[in-house]
Amino acid sequence: MKKMILKILKFVVLGIYLVAAILPFYWVLITSLKGPKEIYTFPIRYFPSKVTFESYRQLFSFANFGVYFKNSLLVSLSAALGAMIVSILAGYALSRHRQRRFKSGVLLAFYFTQMIPPFVLMTPLFTMLSKFQMIDKLSTLFILYITMVTAFSSIMSKSFFDNIPISLEEAGYIDGCNTMQVLFKIVFPLSLPGMAAIFSFAFVNIWNELFLAVMFIMSDEKRTIPVALNSFISKAGISWDIMSAGLVIALLPTMAVFAFAQKYIVSGLTKGAVKG
Amino acid sequence: MEKKYNLRLLYMLIPAFVLLILFTYIPIVRGGIMAFQYYNMFNLNIRFCGLENFKAIIFDKNFNFWRILSNTAVWVFVSLVFQFVLGFILALLMRKPFKGRGIYSAFVFYPWAVSGFAIGLVWSWMFNGQFGIVNDLLRRIGLIHQNIGFLSDPKFAMMSVIIANIWYGVPFFAIMLLAALQSIPQELYEAAEIDGASGIQKLFKITIPYIKPTIISTTLLRTMWIMNFPDIIYAMTRGGPANSTNILATHLINKVYQFYDYGQGAALGMIIMSILFIYALFYLRISASKEVTL
Repeated sequence: MKKMILKILKFVVLGIYLVAAILPFYWVLITSLKGPKEIYTFPIRYFPSKVTFESYRQLFSFANFGVYFKNSLLVSLSAALGAMIVSILAGYALSRHRQRRFKSGVLLAFYFTQMIPPFVLMTPLFTMLSKFQMIDKLSTLFILYITMVTAFSSIMSKSFFDNIPISLEEAGYIDGCNTMQVLFKIVFPLSLPGMAAIFSFAFVNIWNELFLAVMFIMSDEKRTIPVALNSFISKAGISWDIMSAGLVIALLPTMAVFAFAQKYIVSGLTKGAVKG
Repeated sequence: MEKKYNLRLLYMLIPAFVLLILFTYIPIVRGGIMAFQYYNMFNLNIRFCGLENFKAIIFDKNFNFWRILSNTAVWVFVSLVFQFVLGFILALLMRKPFKGRGIYSAFVFYPWAVSGFAIGLVWSWMFNGQFGIVNDLLRRIGLIHQNIGFLSDPKFAMMSVIIANIWYGVPFFAIMLLAALQSIPQELYEAAEIDGASGIQKLFKITIPYIKPTIISTTLLRTMWIMNFPDIIYAMTRGGPANSTNILATHLINKVYQFYDYGQGAALGMIIMSILFIYALFYLRISASKEVTL
């Protein structure tokens, strides 16, 4: 009997967590489907009286959201791919290098970057990059985003490689493979889940980045989605119909990545931060 | 052979290091120098000024520095405690498999993947003083009779941004602690049951000691992260009203993005870094954990 009550209690609490997690998203979705008039009327309705896509139409025609979406997607996909390559190389080297002191030194150098408030870097980066005419370019964001996620991704990828026994590679060398063959034929196929983890992890972080993009992008046609959302906030306030439609669109890609790669993201997060 | 192998591995580190040196290490050194310079958009005569920036921040009449420090402490500490406790409870509840656990976790963990800025926007709509769902729900259950301006009233603003932050941080702890919980050998519990241990005893005598290294490293990481993380506040209040939600990180952003005072911004960055550094040393010392290795 007591067991039964405990079990029911457990699922009630789990239910509360679920409602709490979903409610904000539900509210934004509903707002985006209401149309401007119904948003600002009393009493507040928890379901639109008439579903309308007016906010989305305005978002894409008047606010150019399609272009921003394309920019965000382009930068996030390419930078996540770049970060994956850079950090797989670094992680592999860290995992296989035989000098312990060297290894812990490099790891420390990676960890240190995690302590720096990103905003301290903004101005020096800006003055430096403006000297090289690199302001207002999506390619600049591409490079900065790779850098932004490299340290953590490298730590993550090191711990993935730590779990692949080195004896497999030694067997490859004995059979006459060279380094590249060992990497491409033995190591990489085994580390595919790790790569998926790094890629999805980097993608989510880059997709969400706001402050670098605000600092380095000026022209309207180069904006990313977070910059566009930021620009919807004006002195006069926020028009929540367009904003909530923008938020829904902004959430879609991370939702897709999370639904598809949740397993990898979770394993990457735990491997990168706990074991190191 | 051995030497050649290590050298080849060294080459593989080059891309990561070139990027980090160019776009993190050089800028942070320059940022450190800037903290001791007059450096703002309206006065292009850049020169060294000793500790003037730090003085200006501490004795600022418009932005009471001690208020900002105490705001930061409240923001970090309250957010962290609730994120951890709620995340731990969720992890404990999700530990044993149940039907649909995979889908369930996709939903409750998803907030982790959303940007802090978007979370802030979503919650400022939830907390809206006129048309917000929070006001409406509270009125419906009869807790309040008049709408509360959660984000415009200095009494409620800090609480509101912290609630949004807690909501955001619970999945992180749940994910990390769940992974740690699943590494505890089942035999420990079986042995404890034979000895007649209660649920509470098992929690405090087995579970918590066993995952202590994870608890220490996640809370440490999270503290640094929450302190460096102004996104939610920036989206919801930008530090206002009347400074009530201004923390060191939002103060820094306002200095750079609003007042274009790069010298003072850099000085604030140095203050944040030193606090975090001292905190990390202190934390690792008192938790006396040799298990936490980098």
